[in-house]
Amino acid sequence: MTFGRRHRAALAVCGLGLLAATGTASAHGGSLAGGGRESLTIPTWLFLSTGGAAVGASFLLASFVTDRAFIERIHGWGRPLSGEFERVLGLVGQLIGVVGLAAVLVIGFVGPTTARTNLAILLVWVGWWAGLAMTTYLLGNAWATLNPLKTLADLLPTLDRSYPDRVGSWPAVAGLLVLVWLEVVSPLADQPRLLASAVAGYSVVTLAGALVFGPDDWFTQADPVERVFRYYGRFAPIGRGEDGLRLRLPGMDLSTPRLVDGPDEVAFVVALLWVTTYDGLVTTPAWRDLTTPLVEPGVPPHLLYPVALAIGFGFFLGVYRLAVRLSSDISDTYLTPAVLAQRFAPPLIAIAVGYHFAHYLGYFLVLAPSLAVALASPFADPATVPTLELPEWFGAIALTSVIVGHLVAIWVAHAAAYDLFPARLQAIRSQYPFIAVMVFYTMTSLWVVSQPEVALPHL
Amino acid sequence: MTETVATTDEQPASPSATEETYDVPADAETYDCSYCGRPFAREDWLALHRGLAHPNDLDDAEVEAFRAAHEDEEESLATFRLQALGALVLIYFGLLMIYALV
Ligand SMILES: [Zn+2]
Repeated sequence: MTFGRRHRAALAVCGLGLLAATGTASAHGGSLAGGGRESLTIPTWLFLSTGGAAVGASFLLASFVTDRAFIERIHGWGRPLSGEFERVLGLVGQLIGVVGLAAVLVIGFVGPTTARTNLAILLVWVGWWAGLAMTTYLLGNAWATLNPLKTLADLLPTLDRSYPDRVGSWPAVAGLLVLVWLEVVSPLADQPRLLASAVAGYSVVTLAGALVFGPDDWFTQADPVERVFRYYGRFAPIGRGEDGLRLRLPGMDLSTPRLVDGPDEVAFVVALLWVTTYDGLVTTPAWRDLTTPLVEPGVPPHLLYPVALAIGFGFFLGVYRLAVRLSSDISDTYLTPAVLAQRFAPPLIAIAVGYHFAHYLGYFLVLAPSLAVALASPFADPATVPTLELPEWFGAIALTSVIVGHLVAIWVAHAAAYDLFPARLQAIRSQYPFIAVMVFYTMTSLWVVSQPEVALPHL
Repeated sequence: MTETVATTDEQPASPSATEETYDVPADAETYDCSYCGRPFAREDWLALHRGLAHPNDLDDAEVEAFRAAHEDEEESLATFRLQALGALVLIYFGLLMIYALV
Protein backbone atom coordinates (compact mmCIF):
# COMPACT_ATOMS: atom_id res chain seq x y z
CA MET A 1 0.00 0.00 0.00
CA THR A 2 1.47 3.27 -1.05
CA PHE A 3 0.72 5.92 1.51
CA GLY A 4 2.79 8.86 0.49
CA ARG A 5 1.54 9.76 -2.93
CA ARG A 6 -2.03 8.73 -2.43
CA HIS A 7 -3.66 11.71 -4.18
CA ARG A 8 -2.25 11.09 -7.57
CA ALA A 9 -3.12 7.45 -7.39
CA ALA A 10 -6.65 8.45 -6.53
CA LEU A 11 -6.66 10.96 -9.37
CA ALA A 12 -5.86 8.08 -11.66
CA VAL A 13 -9.06 6.46 -10.48
CA CYS A 14 -10.86 9.61 -11.49
CA GLY A 15 -9.26 9.65 -14.91
CA LEU A 16 -10.28 6.04 -15.41
CA GLY A 17 -13.80 7.03 -14.53
CA LEU A 18 -14.01 9.47 -17.41
CA LEU A 19 -12.89 6.79 -19.81
CA ALA A 20 -15.33 4.29 -18.37
CA ALA A 21 -18.11 6.83 -18.67
CA THR A 22 -17.41 7.82 -22.25
CA GLY A 23 -16.87 4.21 -23.16
CA THR A 24 -14.26 5.10 -25.74
CA ALA A 25 -11.23 3.67 -24.03
CA SER A 26 -10.54 0.46 -22.27
CA ALA A 27 -9.95 1.10 -18.63
CA HIS A 28 -8.87 -1.47 -16.14
CA GLY A 29 -9.56 -1.32 -12.45
CA GLY A 30 -8.02 1.63 -10.70
CA SER A 31 -6.26 0.53 -7.58
CA LEU A 32 -4.89 2.95 -5.06
CA ALA A 33 -1.97 0.69 -4.44
CA GLY A 34 -1.05 0.70 -8.12
CA GLY A 35 0.55 4.09 -7.78
CA GLY A 36 0.51 4.95 -11.47
CA ARG A 37 -1.93 6.81 -13.66
CA GLU A 38 -3.35 4.86 -16.54
CA SER A 39 -2.46 5.79 -20.08
CA LEU A 40 -5.26 6.81 -22.38
CA THR A 41 -6.31 5.11 -25.56
CA ILE A 42 -7.92 8.25 -26.95
CA PRO A 43 -5.67 11.19 -27.88
CA THR A 44 -4.95 13.49 -24.95
CA TRP A 45 -6.22 16.57 -26.79
CA LEU A 46 -9.58 14.89 -27.31
CA PHE A 47 -9.76 13.77 -23.68
CA LEU A 48 -9.07 17.36 -22.58
CA SER A 49 -11.46 18.91 -25.10
CA THR A 50 -14.27 16.63 -23.97
CA GLY A 51 -13.83 17.71 -20.36
CA GLY A 52 -13.64 21.38 -21.34
CA ALA A 53 -16.70 21.06 -23.58
CA ALA A 54 -18.68 19.42 -20.76
CA VAL A 55 -18.04 22.42 -18.53
CA GLY A 56 -18.86 24.90 -21.28
CA ALA A 57 -22.07 23.06 -22.16
CA SER A 58 -23.12 23.08 -18.49
CA PHE A 59 -22.86 26.84 -18.48
CA LEU A 60 -25.03 27.09 -21.59
CA LEU A 61 -27.59 24.81 -19.95
CA ALA A 62 -27.60 26.86 -16.73
CA SER A 63 -28.13 30.02 -18.78
CA PHE A 64 -31.53 28.64 -19.87
CA VAL A 65 -32.79 29.01 -16.32
CA THR A 66 -33.76 32.68 -16.27
CA ASP A 67 -36.59 32.66 -13.72
CA ARG A 68 -35.33 34.82 -10.86
CA ALA A 69 -37.97 33.62 -8.38
CA PHE A 70 -37.11 29.98 -9.08
CA ILE A 71 -33.39 30.58 -8.52
CA GLU A 72 -34.04 32.42 -5.26
CA ARG A 73 -36.36 29.69 -4.04
CA ILE A 74 -33.71 27.04 -4.58
CA HIS A 75 -31.04 29.03 -2.79
CA GLY A 76 -33.30 30.25 0.00
CA TRP A 77 -34.73 26.84 0.84
CA GLY A 78 -34.05 25.76 4.38
CA ARG A 79 -35.54 24.80 7.71
CA PRO A 80 -34.32 24.97 11.28
CA LEU A 81 -33.14 21.83 13.04
CA SER A 82 -34.01 21.26 16.67
CA GLY A 83 -31.01 21.98 18.86
CA GLU A 84 -31.89 20.29 22.14
CA PHE A 85 -29.01 17.87 22.23
CA GLU A 86 -26.57 20.31 20.73
CA ARG A 87 -24.89 21.13 24.02
CA VAL A 88 -24.37 17.50 25.01
CA LEU A 89 -23.23 16.62 21.51
CA GLY A 90 -20.83 19.56 21.61
CA LEU A 91 -19.20 18.37 24.83
CA VAL A 92 -18.89 14.81 23.53
CA GLY A 93 -17.39 16.17 20.30
CA GLN A 94 -14.83 18.25 22.14
CA LEU A 95 -13.84 15.25 24.22
CA ILE A 96 -13.43 13.09 21.10
CA GLY A 97 -11.30 15.79 19.49
CA VAL A 98 -8.94 16.09 22.46
CA VAL A 99 -8.63 12.31 22.84
CA GLY A 100 -7.88 12.07 19.10
CA LEU A 101 -5.09 14.65 19.33
CA ALA A 102 -3.60 12.87 22.33
CA ALA A 103 -3.75 9.55 20.45
CA VAL A 104 -1.97 11.01 17.42
CA LEU A 105 0.82 12.42 19.59
CA VAL A 106 1.26 9.36 21.83
CA ILE A 107 0.94 6.64 19.18
CA GLY A 108 2.88 8.76 16.70
CA PHE A 109 5.86 8.93 19.02
CA VAL A 110 5.78 5.53 20.73
CA GLY A 111 3.54 3.31 18.52
CA PRO A 112 4.58 0.99 15.68
CA THR A 113 6.92 2.55 13.11
CA THR A 114 5.21 1.04 10.06
CA ALA A 115 2.85 3.50 8.41
CA ARG A 116 0.13 1.01 7.61
CA THR A 117 -0.32 -0.13 11.20
CA ASN A 118 0.30 3.13 13.02
CA LEU A 119 -2.85 4.70 14.41
CA ALA A 120 -1.46 8.25 14.21
CA ILE A 121 -0.89 8.00 10.45
CA LEU A 122 -4.24 6.33 9.84
CA LEU A 123 -6.14 8.70 12.11
CA VAL A 124 -4.68 11.84 10.54
CA TRP A 125 -4.82 10.87 6.87
CA VAL A 126 -7.67 8.38 6.68
CA GLY A 127 -9.84 9.42 9.61
CA TRP A 128 -9.33 13.15 9.60
CA TRP A 129 -8.12 14.52 6.28
CA ALA A 130 -10.10 12.02 4.17
CA GLY A 131 -13.03 10.95 6.36
CA LEU A 132 -13.82 13.96 8.50
CA ALA A 133 -13.28 16.38 5.62
CA MET A 134 -15.77 14.37 3.54
CA THR A 135 -18.39 14.51 6.29
CA THR A 136 -17.75 18.25 6.50
CA TYR A 137 -19.11 18.95 3.04
CA LEU A 138 -21.50 15.99 2.88
CA LEU A 139 -23.14 16.64 6.28
CA GLY A 140 -21.84 19.62 8.20
CA ASN A 141 -18.77 21.13 9.76
CA ALA A 142 -18.10 19.02 12.86
CA TRP A 143 -14.49 20.23 13.04
CA ALA A 144 -15.77 23.55 14.39
CA THR A 145 -16.71 21.56 17.51
CA LEU A 146 -14.14 18.76 17.41
CA ASN A 147 -11.06 20.98 16.93
CA PRO A 148 -9.03 19.96 20.00
CA LEU A 149 -6.75 22.97 19.75
CA LYS A 150 -9.74 25.28 20.02
CA THR A 151 -11.00 23.36 23.06
CA LEU A 152 -7.56 23.62 24.69
CA ALA A 153 -7.16 27.29 23.71
CA ASP A 154 -10.50 28.09 25.34
CA LEU A 155 -9.22 26.61 28.60
CA LEU A 156 -5.95 28.54 28.48
CA PRO A 157 -5.56 32.18 29.48
CA THR A 158 -5.14 34.75 26.71
CA LEU A 159 -3.21 38.00 26.42
CA ASP A 160 -6.07 39.25 24.19
CA ARG A 161 -3.93 41.50 22.05
CA SER A 162 -6.08 42.97 19.30
CA TYR A 163 -5.63 41.04 16.07
CA PRO A 164 -4.14 43.33 13.39
CA ASP A 165 -7.01 43.99 10.97
CA ARG A 166 -4.88 44.68 7.95
CA VAL A 167 -3.23 41.24 8.27
CA GLY A 168 -6.69 39.66 7.89
CA SER A 169 -6.57 36.05 6.76
CA TRP A 170 -3.24 36.28 4.91
CA PRO A 171 -1.60 34.13 7.63
CA ALA A 172 -4.15 31.42 6.77
CA VAL A 173 -3.23 31.70 3.07
CA ALA A 174 0.48 31.38 3.88
CA GLY A 175 -0.27 28.61 6.40
CA LEU A 176 -2.20 26.56 3.84
CA LEU A 177 0.62 26.85 1.29
CA VAL A 178 3.22 25.84 3.90
CA LEU A 179 1.17 22.85 5.06
CA VAL A 180 0.73 21.60 1.50
CA TRP A 181 4.42 22.13 0.74
CA LEU A 182 5.35 20.05 3.80
CA GLU A 183 2.82 17.39 2.85
CA VAL A 184 4.22 17.11 -0.68
CA VAL A 185 7.98 17.15 0.00
CA SER A 186 8.22 15.31 3.31
CA PRO A 187 7.19 11.73 4.13
CA LEU A 188 4.49 12.87 6.57
CA ALA A 189 2.26 9.96 5.56
CA ASP A 190 5.03 7.36 5.90
CA GLN A 191 6.84 8.18 9.13
CA PRO A 192 4.75 8.27 12.31
CA ARG A 193 7.45 10.04 14.34
CA LEU A 194 7.73 12.80 11.76
CA LEU A 195 3.96 13.21 11.57
CA ALA A 196 3.66 13.42 15.36
CA SER A 197 6.41 16.06 15.41
CA ALA A 198 4.61 18.07 12.72
CA VAL A 199 1.29 17.84 14.60
CA ALA A 200 3.05 18.91 17.80
CA GLY A 201 4.71 21.83 16.00
CA TYR A 202 1.44 22.95 14.46
CA SER A 203 -0.28 22.67 17.85
CA VAL A 204 2.35 24.83 19.53
CA VAL A 205 2.10 27.54 16.85
CA THR A 206 -1.70 27.49 16.97
CA LEU A 207 -1.93 27.59 20.76
CA ALA A 208 0.65 30.39 20.87
CA GLY A 209 -1.40 32.39 18.37
CA ALA A 210 -4.58 31.83 20.35
CA LEU A 211 -2.73 32.75 23.54
CA VAL A 212 -1.63 36.11 22.14
CA PHE A 213 -4.66 37.19 20.10
CA GLY A 214 -7.46 35.21 21.74
CA PRO A 215 -8.95 31.98 20.36
CA ASP A 216 -11.84 33.73 18.56
CA ASP A 217 -9.68 35.97 16.40
CA TRP A 218 -7.01 33.36 15.83
CA PHE A 219 -9.30 30.56 14.66
CA THR A 220 -11.57 32.88 12.67
CA GLN A 221 -8.79 34.68 10.82
CA ALA A 222 -5.34 33.11 10.99
CA ASP A 223 -5.74 29.33 11.32
CA PRO A 224 -5.65 27.68 7.87
CA VAL A 225 -7.13 24.32 8.93
CA GLU A 226 -10.14 25.85 10.67
CA ARG A 227 -10.77 27.92 7.53
CA VAL A 228 -10.56 24.98 5.13
CA PHE A 229 -13.15 23.12 7.19
CA ARG A 230 -15.33 26.22 7.53
CA TYR A 231 -15.37 26.71 3.75
CA TYR A 232 -16.02 23.03 3.11
CA GLY A 233 -18.82 23.26 5.67
CA ARG A 234 -20.50 26.00 3.66
CA PHE A 235 -21.16 23.42 0.98
CA ALA A 236 -22.86 21.07 3.45
CA PRO A 237 -26.63 20.57 3.81
CA ILE A 238 -26.43 21.27 7.55
CA GLY A 239 -25.24 24.74 8.44
CA ARG A 240 -25.14 26.96 11.46
CA GLY A 241 -27.14 30.18 11.35
CA GLU A 242 -27.96 32.73 14.00
CA ASP A 243 -30.74 30.57 15.45
CA GLY A 244 -28.97 27.21 15.58
CA LEU A 245 -28.54 24.47 13.00
CA ARG A 246 -30.36 24.73 9.69
CA LEU A 247 -31.01 22.35 6.84
CA ARG A 248 -30.41 23.63 3.30
CA LEU A 249 -29.68 22.30 -0.17
CA PRO A 250 -26.02 21.23 -0.69
CA GLY A 251 -23.86 23.94 -2.20
CA MET A 252 -26.64 26.50 -2.47
CA ASP A 253 -25.40 28.55 0.46
CA LEU A 254 -22.27 29.42 -1.52
CA SER A 255 -24.16 32.18 -3.31
CA THR A 256 -24.79 34.21 -0.14
CA PRO A 257 -23.29 37.68 -0.02
CA ARG A 258 -20.37 38.34 2.34
CA LEU A 259 -19.39 34.68 2.54
CA VAL A 260 -15.97 35.69 1.27
CA ASP A 261 -15.01 39.13 2.47
CA GLY A 262 -11.94 40.94 1.21
CA PRO A 263 -9.02 40.11 -1.06
CA ASP A 264 -7.35 37.94 1.59
CA GLU A 265 -10.30 35.56 1.69
CA VAL A 266 -10.54 35.49 -2.10
CA ALA A 267 -6.85 34.53 -2.10
CA PHE A 268 -7.55 31.68 0.32
CA VAL A 269 -10.23 30.17 -1.90
CA VAL A 270 -7.91 30.41 -4.92
CA ALA A 271 -5.10 28.84 -2.86
CA LEU A 272 -7.39 25.94 -1.93
CA LEU A 273 -7.93 25.25 -5.62
CA TRP A 274 -4.27 25.72 -6.58
CA VAL A 275 -2.88 23.30 -4.00
CA THR A 276 -5.13 20.56 -5.41
CA THR A 277 -3.50 21.05 -8.80
CA TYR A 278 0.04 21.52 -7.48
CA ASP A 279 -0.14 18.25 -5.63
CA GLY A 280 -0.66 16.34 -8.86
CA LEU A 281 1.48 18.55 -11.07
CA VAL A 282 4.78 17.81 -9.32
CA THR A 283 4.66 14.12 -10.20
CA THR A 284 4.10 14.58 -13.94
CA PRO A 285 6.97 13.88 -16.39
CA ALA A 286 6.49 17.43 -17.68
CA TRP A 287 7.44 18.83 -14.29
CA ARG A 288 10.51 16.58 -14.20
CA ASP A 289 11.59 17.62 -17.69
CA LEU A 290 10.96 21.27 -16.93
CA THR A 291 12.99 21.27 -13.73
CA THR A 292 15.89 19.02 -14.74
CA PRO A 293 17.70 21.82 -16.67
CA LEU A 294 17.37 23.97 -13.55
CA VAL A 295 18.55 21.37 -11.06
CA GLU A 296 21.51 20.13 -13.09
CA PRO A 297 23.42 23.45 -13.04
CA GLY A 298 22.92 23.53 -9.28
CA VAL A 299 19.58 25.03 -8.34
CA PRO A 300 18.76 23.35 -5.01
CA PRO A 301 15.61 21.22 -5.46
CA HIS A 302 14.47 22.08 -1.97
CA LEU A 303 14.16 25.66 -3.16
CA LEU A 304 12.42 24.64 -6.36
CA TYR A 305 9.30 23.18 -4.74
CA PRO A 306 8.28 26.11 -2.53
CA VAL A 307 9.14 28.61 -5.27
CA ALA A 308 6.99 26.73 -7.79
CA LEU A 309 4.20 26.58 -5.21
CA ALA A 310 4.36 30.35 -4.72
CA ILE A 311 4.64 31.17 -8.43
CA GLY A 312 1.75 28.88 -9.33
CA PHE A 313 -0.39 30.44 -6.61
CA GLY A 314 0.46 33.90 -7.93
CA PHE A 315 -0.47 32.74 -11.44
CA PHE A 316 -3.83 31.30 -10.34
CA LEU A 317 -4.62 34.46 -8.38
CA GLY A 318 -3.59 36.59 -11.34
CA VAL A 319 -5.82 34.63 -13.72
CA TYR A 320 -8.75 34.91 -11.31
CA ARG A 321 -8.25 38.67 -10.95
CA LEU A 322 -7.99 39.04 -14.71
CA ALA A 323 -11.29 37.15 -15.09
CA VAL A 324 -12.87 39.50 -12.57
CA ARG A 325 -11.58 42.53 -14.54
CA LEU A 326 -12.95 41.14 -17.79
CA SER A 327 -16.25 40.27 -16.14
CA SER A 328 -16.52 43.82 -14.85
CA ASP A 329 -15.86 45.20 -18.36
CA ILE A 330 -18.23 42.84 -20.15
CA SER A 331 -21.10 43.40 -17.74
CA ASP A 332 -20.59 47.18 -17.89
CA THR A 333 -21.27 47.50 -14.17
CA TYR A 334 -20.26 50.19 -11.70
CA LEU A 335 -19.71 47.62 -8.96
CA THR A 336 -16.01 47.50 -8.09
CA PRO A 337 -13.96 44.49 -9.21
CA ALA A 338 -13.38 43.78 -5.49
CA VAL A 339 -17.12 43.21 -5.02
CA LEU A 340 -17.25 40.86 -8.01
CA ALA A 341 -14.12 38.99 -6.86
CA GLN A 342 -15.68 38.31 -3.45
CA ARG A 343 -19.03 37.28 -4.85
CA PHE A 344 -17.69 34.86 -7.46
CA ALA A 345 -15.01 33.19 -5.29
CA PRO A 346 -17.28 30.95 -3.13
CA PRO A 347 -18.52 28.89 -6.13
CA LEU A 348 -14.91 27.74 -6.54
CA ILE A 349 -15.26 25.97 -3.17
CA ALA A 350 -17.69 23.56 -4.86
CA ILE A 351 -14.97 22.63 -7.37
CA ALA A 352 -12.47 22.05 -4.55
CA VAL A 353 -15.05 19.86 -2.80
CA GLY A 354 -15.59 17.83 -5.99
CA TYR A 355 -11.86 17.18 -6.35
CA HIS A 356 -11.40 16.35 -2.68
CA PHE A 357 -14.18 13.78 -2.85
CA ALA A 358 -12.71 12.29 -6.03
CA HIS A 359 -9.27 12.06 -4.43
CA TYR A 360 -10.21 10.71 -1.05
CA LEU A 361 -13.37 8.60 -1.22
CA GLY A 362 -11.51 5.58 -2.61
CA TYR A 363 -8.52 6.22 -0.36
CA PHE A 364 -10.81 6.32 2.66
CA LEU A 365 -12.76 3.18 1.76
CA VAL A 366 -9.63 1.16 1.00
CA LEU A 367 -7.95 2.03 4.29
CA ALA A 368 -10.96 2.30 6.62
CA PRO A 369 -10.58 -1.38 7.74
CA SER A 370 -6.92 -0.72 8.62
CA LEU A 371 -8.03 2.28 10.67
CA ALA A 372 -10.60 0.15 12.51
CA VAL A 373 -7.95 -2.46 13.36
CA ALA A 374 -5.52 0.20 14.58
CA LEU A 375 -8.25 1.81 16.69
CA ALA A 376 -9.02 -1.51 18.35
CA SER A 377 -5.39 -2.21 19.25
CA PRO A 378 -3.26 0.93 18.87
CA PHE A 379 -0.01 -0.59 20.12
CA ALA A 380 -0.13 -3.83 18.14
CA ASP A 381 1.93 -4.10 14.96
CA PRO A 382 0.29 -6.89 12.94
CA ALA A 383 2.11 -8.19 9.86
CA THR A 384 -0.93 -7.76 7.65
CA VAL A 385 -3.82 -5.32 7.94
CA PRO A 386 -7.15 -5.62 6.15
CA THR A 387 -7.89 -3.26 3.27
CA LEU A 388 -10.94 -3.02 1.07
CA GLU A 389 -10.80 -4.03 -2.58
CA LEU A 390 -12.61 -1.49 -4.73
CA PRO A 391 -14.78 -2.70 -7.62
CA GLU A 392 -13.81 -1.76 -11.18
CA TRP A 393 -16.65 0.68 -11.70
CA PHE A 394 -15.55 2.70 -8.71
CA GLY A 395 -13.64 5.23 -10.81
CA ALA A 396 -16.92 6.46 -12.27
CA ILE A 397 -17.92 7.81 -8.84
CA ALA A 398 -14.76 9.87 -8.66
CA LEU A 399 -15.33 11.27 -12.12
CA THR A 400 -18.95 12.07 -11.35
CA SER A 401 -17.97 14.00 -8.25
CA VAL A 402 -15.48 16.12 -10.22
CA ILE A 403 -18.18 16.95 -12.74
CA VAL A 404 -20.85 17.59 -10.09
CA GLY A 405 -18.45 19.97 -8.34
CA HIS A 406 -18.11 21.96 -11.55
CA LEU A 407 -21.87 21.92 -12.18
CA VAL A 408 -22.65 23.22 -8.69
CA ALA A 409 -20.00 25.92 -9.12
CA ILE A 410 -21.51 27.05 -12.42
CA TRP A 411 -25.01 27.08 -10.99
CA VAL A 412 -24.03 28.96 -7.82
CA ALA A 413 -22.13 31.59 -9.80
CA HIS A 414 -25.19 31.89 -12.05
CA ALA A 415 -27.37 32.58 -9.01
CA ALA A 416 -24.87 35.04 -7.53
CA ALA A 417 -24.78 36.94 -10.83
CA TYR A 418 -28.57 37.14 -10.87
CA ASP A 419 -28.46 38.56 -7.38
CA LEU A 420 -25.82 41.09 -8.34
CA PHE A 421 -27.09 42.45 -11.66
CA PRO A 422 -30.53 43.84 -12.53
CA ALA A 423 -30.50 42.59 -16.15
CA ARG A 424 -30.42 38.83 -16.70
CA LEU A 425 -28.46 38.96 -19.91
CA GLN A 426 -25.92 41.16 -18.13
CA ALA A 427 -25.69 38.47 -15.42
CA ILE A 428 -25.13 35.72 -17.99
CA ARG A 429 -22.48 37.73 -19.84
CA SER A 430 -20.67 38.50 -16.58
CA GLN A 431 -19.94 34.76 -16.36
CA TYR A 432 -18.12 34.39 -19.69
CA PRO A 433 -14.60 35.00 -18.30
CA PHE A 434 -15.21 32.70 -15.33
CA ILE A 435 -16.49 29.93 -17.56
CA ALA A 436 -13.40 30.33 -19.75
CA VAL A 437 -11.21 30.01 -16.64
CA MET A 438 -13.19 26.97 -15.47
CA VAL A 439 -12.80 25.27 -18.85
CA PHE A 440 -9.05 25.97 -18.67
CA TYR A 441 -8.90 24.63 -15.11
CA THR A 442 -10.80 21.46 -15.98
CA MET A 443 -8.52 20.81 -18.92
CA THR A 444 -5.42 21.38 -16.78
CA SER A 445 -6.69 18.94 -14.14
CA LEU A 446 -7.58 16.33 -16.75
CA TRP A 447 -4.17 16.78 -18.33
CA VAL A 448 -2.55 16.09 -14.97
CA VAL A 449 -4.55 12.88 -14.46
CA SER A 450 -3.79 11.73 -18.02
CA GLN A 451 -0.04 11.97 -17.40
CA PRO A 452 1.95 8.97 -16.17
CA GLU A 453 2.95 9.42 -12.57
CA VAL A 454 6.65 9.67 -11.77
CA ALA A 455 8.36 9.74 -8.39
CA LEU A 456 8.81 13.20 -6.93
CA PRO A 457 11.84 14.31 -8.98
CA HIS A 458 15.15 15.55 -7.52
CA LEU A 459 14.23 14.83 -3.88
CA MET B 1 -20.02 24.79 25.00
CA THR B 2 -18.91 28.36 24.58
CA GLU B 3 -20.24 29.84 21.38
CA THR B 4 -17.34 31.27 19.44
CA VAL B 5 -17.62 33.23 16.23
CA ALA B 6 -15.73 30.54 14.39
CA THR B 7 -18.38 27.92 15.06
CA THR B 8 -21.05 29.82 13.16
CA ASP B 9 -21.12 30.25 9.44
CA GLU B 10 -21.55 33.99 9.72
CA GLN B 11 -18.22 35.72 9.58
CA PRO B 12 -17.42 39.09 11.03
CA ALA B 13 -16.77 41.74 8.43
CA SER B 14 -13.09 41.98 7.66
CA PRO B 15 -11.54 45.42 7.37
CA SER B 16 -11.44 45.37 3.60
CA ALA B 17 -15.22 45.00 3.52
CA THR B 18 -15.60 48.68 4.27
CA GLU B 19 -14.03 49.73 1.00
CA GLU B 20 -16.11 51.29 -1.77
CA THR B 21 -18.80 49.23 -3.45
CA TYR B 22 -19.08 51.34 -6.60
CA ASP B 23 -16.45 52.50 -8.99
CA VAL B 24 -17.80 55.10 -11.43
CA PRO B 25 -15.39 56.59 -13.98
CA ALA B 26 -15.26 60.39 -13.70
CA ASP B 27 -16.66 61.08 -17.16
CA ALA B 28 -19.28 58.30 -17.18
CA GLU B 29 -22.97 58.94 -17.60
CA THR B 30 -24.87 57.26 -14.77
CA TYR B 31 -28.47 56.56 -13.85
CA ASP B 32 -28.64 56.56 -10.07
CA CYS B 33 -31.31 54.76 -8.07
CA SER B 34 -33.21 57.38 -6.07
CA TYR B 35 -33.95 54.83 -3.32
CA CYS B 36 -30.54 53.33 -2.59
CA GLY B 37 -28.15 55.38 -4.71
CA ARG B 38 -26.71 52.51 -6.75
CA PRO B 39 -25.44 53.82 -10.12
CA PHE B 40 -26.15 52.07 -13.43
CA ALA B 41 -24.70 52.51 -16.90
CA ARG B 42 -28.04 52.10 -18.68
CA GLU B 43 -31.49 53.50 -18.03
CA ASP B 44 -33.31 50.18 -18.47
CA TRP B 45 -31.00 48.52 -15.93
CA LEU B 46 -32.05 51.17 -13.42
CA ALA B 47 -35.71 50.52 -14.29
CA LEU B 48 -35.21 46.77 -13.75
CA HIS B 49 -33.32 47.34 -10.50
CA ARG B 50 -36.10 49.54 -9.12
CA GLY B 51 -38.68 46.85 -9.84
CA LEU B 52 -36.55 44.06 -8.31
CA ALA B 53 -35.08 45.82 -5.28
CA HIS B 54 -37.76 48.35 -4.31
CA PRO B 55 -41.04 46.91 -5.66
CA ASN B 56 -43.25 48.51 -3.02
CA ASP B 57 -41.95 52.06 -3.30
CA LEU B 58 -42.47 52.72 -7.00
CA ASP B 59 -44.77 55.34 -8.53
CA ASP B 60 -46.84 54.62 -11.66
CA ALA B 61 -44.24 55.92 -14.10
CA GLU B 62 -41.54 53.73 -12.53
CA VAL B 63 -43.79 50.67 -12.62
CA GLU B 64 -44.47 51.36 -16.29
CA ALA B 65 -40.72 51.75 -16.95
CA PHE B 66 -40.04 48.41 -15.19
CA ARG B 67 -42.70 46.67 -17.32
CA ALA B 68 -41.25 48.05 -20.54
CA ALA B 69 -37.68 47.14 -19.54
CA HIS B 70 -38.82 43.67 -18.50
CA GLU B 71 -40.49 43.07 -21.88
CA ASP B 72 -37.37 44.19 -23.75
CA GLU B 73 -35.35 41.87 -21.54
CA GLU B 74 -37.60 38.90 -22.36
CA GLU B 75 -37.08 39.54 -26.05
CA SER B 76 -33.31 39.70 -25.83
CA LEU B 77 -33.31 36.59 -23.62
CA ALA B 78 -35.27 34.70 -26.27
CA THR B 79 -32.59 35.60 -28.81
CA PHE B 80 -29.88 34.53 -26.40
CA ARG B 81 -31.58 31.18 -25.77
CA LEU B 82 -31.56 30.46 -29.48
CA GLN B 83 -27.85 31.27 -29.70
CA ALA B 84 -27.08 29.12 -26.65
CA LEU B 85 -29.06 26.25 -28.12
CA GLY B 86 -27.11 26.62 -31.36
CA ALA B 87 -23.83 26.52 -29.46
CA LEU B 88 -24.92 23.39 -27.56
CA VAL B 89 -25.87 21.62 -30.76
CA LEU B 90 -22.54 22.64 -32.27
CA ILE B 91 -20.58 21.28 -29.28
CA TYR B 92 -22.55 18.05 -29.26
CA PHE B 93 -22.33 17.23 -32.94
CA GLY B 94 -18.80 18.56 -33.19
CA LEU B 95 -17.61 16.12 -30.53
CA LEU B 96 -19.70 13.34 -31.99
CA MET B 97 -18.05 13.78 -35.37
CA ILE B 98 -14.56 14.01 -33.89
CA TYR B 99 -15.14 10.80 -31.91
CA ALA B 100 -16.34 9.11 -35.09
CA LEU B 101 -13.19 10.12 -36.94
CA VAL B 102 -10.56 9.51 -34.26
ZN1 LIG C 1 -32.02 50.94 -5.52
